Amino acid sequence: MTDLAVHFEGVGKKYRHFTLDDIHLELPTGSIMGFIGPNGAGKSTTIRILMGLVHQDRGSVRVLGHAMPKDQALAKQQIGFVSEDLRLYKTATLAWHMGFIRSIYPTWDQAYAEQLLRRFDLKAEQRIKGISHGQRVKAALLLVLARRPRLLVLDEPTTGLDPVARQEVLGELMEVLADDERTILFSSHNTLDVEQISDQITFIDQGRIIDTGDKEGFLDRWRRIRLDVPAEVAPPVLPGVMKAGGSGRLPVVTTNRFEPAMAAAYQHAGVTVLAVEPMTLEEIFVANVHWRREGGIS
Amino acid sequence: MNHAMVQRLIYKDWYFNRFAITAYVAAGLLSLVALALGGEAGFYAGSILLITVLVAVGAHMAMIAVTERRDQTLAFVMTLPISTLEYTTAKIVGNLMIFFAAWTTLLVGTVAVIAGRQALPDGLIPFAIVVLFQLFAGYCLMLSVALVSESQGWTIGALVLGNLLLNGVIFAVSNAPGVGANMKSDSIVWSQPIVGVLWAEVAAILFLLGLTFYLQTRKTDFL
Repeated sequence: MTDLAVHFEGVGKKYRHFTLDDIHLELPTGSIMGFIGPNGAGKSTTIRILMGLVHQDRGSVRVLGHAMPKDQALAKQQIGFVSEDLRLYKTATLAWHMGFIRSIYPTWDQAYAEQLLRRFDLKAEQRIKGISHGQRVKAALLLVLARRPRLLVLDEPTTGLDPVARQEVLGELMEVLADDERTILFSSHNTLDVEQISDQITFIDQGRIIDTGDKEGFLDRWRRIRLDVPAEVAPPVLPGVMKAGGSGRLPVVTTNRFEPAMAAAYQHAGVTVLAVEPMTLEEIFVANVHWRREGGIS
Repeated sequence: MNHAMVQRLIYKDWYFNRFAITAYVAAGLLSLVALALGGEAGFYAGSILLITVLVAVGAHMAMIAVTERRDQTLAFVMTLPISTLEYTTAKIVGNLMIFFAAWTTLLVGTVAVIAGRQALPDGLIPFAIVVLFQLFAGYCLMLSVALVSESQGWTIGALVLGNLLLNGVIFAVSNAPGVGANMKSDSIVWSQPIVGVLWAEVAAILFLLGLTFYLQTRKTDFL
């Protein structure tokens, strides 16, 4: 049985205008999951439930072997959480925050913290209210990384960062990934960021998980096929074709179950395959969301 | 219960409010000086300043719970290895300690000033204690509402209600049979109305604190 760092089973949470519905989520230890969804899809609610900050109405959540929210204090010893919703004390310095966190977590690595200070170009004596948004995110990341948590939960950490700061943050995360025991859940609506660091992908939309799997699997399975269909030919309906667009003679079909045999089947039916194009994670995500909203089922 | 963690959170609140606490204690001591040295004007000025300081320190401390959510530092605190109960304990105990330090100083000071000044009859002491306990109860109401609702509006509402109740208690107790005359006497008299109101205030304080713990442990959303 795979060792799971995070395990959601049938989790639901109902608000007046939003429902998180029947969430099943498995994050194996040592993996990096990109958690992708549009704004308001339920990413942050799912993560808050994972952290014990919001209690689920139904279903069970286990994080690093601890039942949530009941054993949240134990679980949070080993979780590092950075979120857009989280702020440090603006009247205190970063040095104060470092001392505060060090006093709580015995795993605090001071040498690594100082290394991160230099790498992120942060000044420990500077007050939080005097630093930029990018520096605040880096400061929060420093406070989390220097604890060396077993599970890193990052809720939209790169939102609002300039390209340089974003690359610095992502670069540091890449380095952290060198540790095989570290597990990361990275939520974002920026698929480019997620694509860079994740090996697992989960899509969420309208409070439901719509697809999950390993990143390479997604990139291998999804294709856009450009066809040339003569007037007298009816293109065959092949399994796995999710969407047909484009003009009448030159349709473009999208599939989530591409096999080379598909191209052969089109050609056999008298349809010319002009191109078989790989799709980016963003294109896969958008196509997946639209397909599910139109009632598509895997 | 992780006592070390609770202590750290209390220390954190004290650290962030150290200047405000110092200022309130200084203002409280100033009110005692006015009570001790001033004439009739000093007595009234000192009394008003004393009540104002206690209301202000209570409101200030209660609002910290509200601003933690507004400033999004509550998320930072709640991601630390603490449970809901530990957070609530730290907030209530930390807040109570700060208020209690100021309140006790002023309680002792007030009693000492009344007992020490010839111009002030000792019969005022039970009445002063009732007023100070009412301020404590009003503070507990505000703290309870602030923690449970995390709303500035509701907390201000609780502040207004607490002040109305304070004035109501002052009016009711000073006009209760026999109390007015006792206040002007040189001996301390624990009359039935005074003792009854004091017990009611203590019960209200305990009820509000217990209710806050109960409601906080049932809370399901901390962000």
